[in-house]
Amino acid sequence: MGLSSGDGAQLCVFDLRRGQQEGQELDKILFFHPADCPILLQLSVIGLCEGIITFSRIFSPDDDCEVIESENHSHVFYQAEADIWMVLVVEKNKDSELTWRCGALQGILKEVHSLFTMFYGPIRTLLDRQPSAELARGHLRTFVTDYLSDFSAGKKLQLPTFRDCLKERGTVQMLTISREVALEIQSLTTVLGSCLGNVMCQSLVLFGDLLVSTTLPPDDTLNLYTYAVLRLTPHALSSYANSWSYLRKGTSVHSVPTSSSSNGTASVERPLQREKLYKGKDGFVTADFATSEIRGAVPSAPILWFRQAEDRMHLCVYQHKNITILLLTPASSLINGDEGITHVKRHLLEHASQNIVTVEQKLSRGWGGENAYHVGGYRYLLVDPDRKVSRASPPGKVTTLSKDSLLSLNRQREEIDLEKSRAGRSDSCHDKDFEICIRAKNNSWVIAKVTRGRELYMALEKGGETLLYASTAVEKFSNRYCEGAFSTD
Amino acid sequence: MLQLPRAPRPIHLRLMVCTPPTPRALRLAFQQTPPPNALAECSRVLKKSGQMKLLHREKEPASVFEGNRKNVLLSGKMQGGLGSVGTLSHAYVQHPPLRCDIPDIRGIFYDDANKFLIAPTADRILYWKITPSTPAGPPNSDPINDGPVLSVRYSLDQKAIGIQRSNHEVEFRNRETGETCNKKWRVDSETLLGFFWTDCPTYDVIFVKTSGLDLLAYEPQSNALRLVDSKKFNVSWYLYTHESRLIVLASGMQCTLFTGYQFSASGVVKLPKFEMTVSKSEANSKPVLAADDVHIVTVYGRIYCLQLDRVSMTLNMYRFYRDAVVHQGTLPTYSSRIAVSVVDNIIMVHQIDAKVVILYDIFMDSYAPISAPLPLLVRRLPSNNRQATQSSDNQSSAYGGTLYGEGWNFLNPDLVCDVENGLLWKLHLDLEAIAASTSDAPSVLEFLQRRKSDLSMVKTLSLAIVRTVILERRPITMVAKAMDVVLDSYSRLMKMGSDLPGVRRTSEQNLQSGVQPVVNPDSSSGDGNRPVQSNSGVEHGIANHTANVDRTLLNTSSDSDDITNASGGANQEMSGLQASDVAERKPLVVGKDSRPLASGTSMQHGTHVANVAVSPSEMFESVFVLVEDEMMGDPAYLVSIIMEFLRSVSKAGLKAPPNLYVMTTTLLAHSNRYPEIMLFVSNKILEPSKELAMQLMELGRQNSPTRKLGVDMLRERGLHQDYVSALLQDGYYLEALRYARKYKVITVPPALFLEEAVATNSAKNLAAVLSFFTEFVPTFKTTSDYARYRHILSEMI
Repeated sequence: MGLSSGDGAQLCVFDLRRGQQEGQELDKILFFHPADCPILLQLSVIGLCEGIITFSRIFSPDDDCEVIESENHSHVFYQAEADIWMVLVVEKNKDSELTWRCGALQGILKEVHSLFTMFYGPIRTLLDRQPSAELARGHLRTFVTDYLSDFSAGKKLQLPTFRDCLKERGTVQMLTISREVALEIQSLTTVLGSCLGNVMCQSLVLFGDLLVSTTLPPDDTLNLYTYAVLRLTPHALSSYANSWSYLRKGTSVHSVPTSSSSNGTASVERPLQREKLYKGKDGFVTADFATSEIRGAVPSAPILWFRQAEDRMHLCVYQHKNITILLLTPASSLINGDEGITHVKRHLLEHASQNIVTVEQKLSRGWGGENAYHVGGYRYLLVDPDRKVSRASPPGKVTTLSKDSLLSLNRQREEIDLEKSRAGRSDSCHDKDFEICIRAKNNSWVIAKVTRGRELYMALEKGGETLLYASTAVEKFSNRYCEGAFSTD
Repeated sequence: MLQLPRAPRPIHLRLMVCTPPTPRALRLAFQQTPPPNALAECSRVLKKSGQMKLLHREKEPASVFEGNRKNVLLSGKMQGGLGSVGTLSHAYVQHPPLRCDIPDIRGIFYDDANKFLIAPTADRILYWKITPSTPAGPPNSDPINDGPVLSVRYSLDQKAIGIQRSNHEVEFRNRETGETCNKKWRVDSETLLGFFWTDCPTYDVIFVKTSGLDLLAYEPQSNALRLVDSKKFNVSWYLYTHESRLIVLASGMQCTLFTGYQFSASGVVKLPKFEMTVSKSEANSKPVLAADDVHIVTVYGRIYCLQLDRVSMTLNMYRFYRDAVVHQGTLPTYSSRIAVSVVDNIIMVHQIDAKVVILYDIFMDSYAPISAPLPLLVRRLPSNNRQATQSSDNQSSAYGGTLYGEGWNFLNPDLVCDVENGLLWKLHLDLEAIAASTSDAPSVLEFLQRRKSDLSMVKTLSLAIVRTVILERRPITMVAKAMDVVLDSYSRLMKMGSDLPGVRRTSEQNLQSGVQPVVNPDSSSGDGNRPVQSNSGVEHGIANHTANVDRTLLNTSSDSDDITNASGGANQEMSGLQASDVAERKPLVVGKDSRPLASGTSMQHGTHVANVAVSPSEMFESVFVLVEDEMMGDPAYLVSIIMEFLRSVSKAGLKAPPNLYVMTTTLLAHSNRYPEIMLFVSNKILEPSKELAMQLMELGRQNSPTRKLGVDMLRERGLHQDYVSALLQDGYYLEALRYARKYKVITVPPALFLEEAVATNSAKNLAAVLSFFTEFVPTFKTTSDYARYRHILSEMI
């Protein structure tokens, strides 16, 4: 689904502060996908984007340009850092399969940028450190390409379409657990937190692809969670093992010789490179970076930058059956790199193994399977932007919806996105409540409800005839599954 | 009834007993003075042997209690003096003793079944009831006929007195009628060794003779004895304690062959014959085991026998089962003479030559002493203040010379009679000192929670220990274990609380056994409290239950095996709900009851037993609240501790007080851990309550998602009025209005809504609010609010 025709999608990153003199325009470009795109075409795309950005700033100095819709293309903009822009260009087509939602595409740009920042720090910092931009370009090339490899189907990018309208990128999916288990996990978190003695370690615990506990603020949790689900969870690790033989062929990226492993940040090689990640016998997921050129220089744990934590952190990943533990130790507290990490690992094995086993057992016992959060009759998506948490009907159930319902829902979400940004501009400190119920062509009810910041989207295909039916259904759902958050007052 | 279990898996049937004493008539005392540095020698040996389970206070690393001693331990520490040796001690006798040095008496006897200290004179028997506490007044008396008295035992219903007149004759006297009847044996063939009363259904009196046992029924009406049965075998000497209902009879050349019977209310159990081993000093010597060297000991409802082996200087410990006698281990001794007492299930082995006592707690089958050998002290009642302590020092030093003196006789289980001076002392444990002697908090707490006497002290100490380990930032796992211990024992008690039928059954048996009025030192205090409680409501009912239960607990002695076997088992499934119910209400009750306690003068008895266990809310008030300020520097540690506490609480099926959640959120917010607050609220680790909701809203001033959590919690809890006010405060007046209409919240004045509407400067909304109130509040049009906002609206338009 959702194949872009031709060479379709392009993704570029450029810096408006660079290459301001004629003839040096090429200097603006930090990244361009596909890499084999002719330079002239690259320049023309970026030239257009820059023009639109400059132009729209005249009218709207505070808010960025979000999208240009032309006859054949959509340009989705995201200003990742001041004057550093990311643009995704997707080709339009008569085929309704290629119906996107701007917000969803922007989500991809946001996601790749946050992940990049987590591993390498802000792009601006990289540029400031090395004005020739080789470092930044090198990292972006490997990182974004590795990231996009997830979307690639053959040579093309397969971007999320309307069929994914009951998913929300940039949110965390939580596992619902009983209080007793939550306390058990909290106890594990305490043990994990003390892996370094006096300095508190942070940790994330995942069960399968669902988050169980975190000690980090929502933003950082989200980034790490996203990374974990992309590459570290048992599911992510095994999906590569099963399919790498044919998937890898088209997208091999030439390994980049690292020029600067001494400056600290280059120590992370390619965190999104699937081939190098594996779970060791000791249960730790490690990256096999010990290639000839960088042997010894690289600690096996990546260093992460966090937006909300002051320190850089070492990441240590431990896995036991379905449990994945992301343990973060402040880089400054690990005086002697590898040795410190070995110590942390030993501490974890010695003190936390028992807890981990118990927790894993309890969670596995309580786990309702992949359809655990299915609610009969409903296809829904619940988003809590404050906590950056979402929950949705299982994908397998969403596919049973008809195309009409999905298209209507996609359309409706687009409306809500607009409405939200409009409300946000007029009164940013009060949440505005919305409710939209649509009777789609196929007689299904498509409902969106935003209450006190929380969002609920649902499609009811076997609904009754009346609007009353739809609102009763929402009411029931709200009372039963959302503690009344969406109930009509 | 204390019954012997079967080996190897001990089965304890119900034990509903009293703490009673030894049958041995007072044996007059000892020789020798102890070697001068016996104590030092003793400590040295023990240290070398590496057997100390708990560390000695002097060796303790960076003294656990020192830092917080003032607030941790009870003020007004009592320390008697024993001159040169110093004041460290884990056991003491309490001053003043019972004085029984009445001029005319012809010896002193102890009736362990009734706990009477008996002193016959020429024509009377004087007796003191030793239970529940040492009496102060003059003795009671019964007239008797003149004649020699070898021993005296009152029947278990106290209607008759048995007086052994000679080795062949016992006189029985009906106390009401004064009638007597004499039981005599032929002089030549056999000698009477002694006799005792039993609550066995078929017999009343048992005579022990050199040729065996005579089992007789006693008929009080006719004051006659009827021989029911007799058992023939040779007996050299015997031991009996009423506490264990067990008699062991020694025979053989070396007196090492034993026959044993248990005569309990549920029948007679014959133990298999067994032999004790005695080491030989030389190849040909045949040492004879003396009655003095064997001690029956009852702890935690189990019956043990301690046998001193003089040659190897060890105490052999045997445990009695229904069908076996199993050697359990050996304890070292450091004196050629020892005495054994049991105080609150702790075995005290007095090393008489060394004048020190070693304590053992064999609950977990560990035979390591719980403390270093330390001397016994004399102490004044703890209720007195410091001045009194000083005076007690004087007194004890005046008495000092006779501790472990010539006239000391140890009465089962916890009494010492100084026959020379006519004094009766009761032995006590110094729980405070024992607790202070180790830094292993969980095991000290376990030890304390097993104690049945001095309950308020147990509680105070337990709380103090938990506080201390937190303040000292001990490893979290250790603190967690410590809290587990405390809460486990609370929840066990609560579970018993819901198990009323079991309790009743036990007390009935108590009555049937005919020893009820006197056996239980704590029953009288429990009874004493009952009238006070019974005059109000349900909660007191619960208190009653708990009181009852605790008594059962005491009676059955807390071997967890027999608790469940006896009564807990059947009702355990159903007790879950009730238990938590009780747990929830209990603090109220405790609050009321604990008041007299706090100011209470007596630490020993009269303590309400229900108060021993520490409830979660008491933990909160006496631990977390008190340490909070000091822990503000390291809130993360305290939060982790609270999490472990919550885990223990939930594991024990109890409920934590809402204020603890409030404290937790405050601590988290203090270190900017708002995301975790969110996580904990969403997974219900912080259980919703109004208090918590309000605190979240308060903290939400710095962090709006947290405020939202609080507001949502108000809605989820159905606190309509608070929810409406919260919405109003945040400026969501239309939402508030809708909600108010739906849930008929009429307590929030219209002016608040109107004011908010004015503040947003929207005529449309103001008009809507106005028309809402005119429509839904009939009298609204007549109020000044209406006129005022009407006016404002017209100006807006």
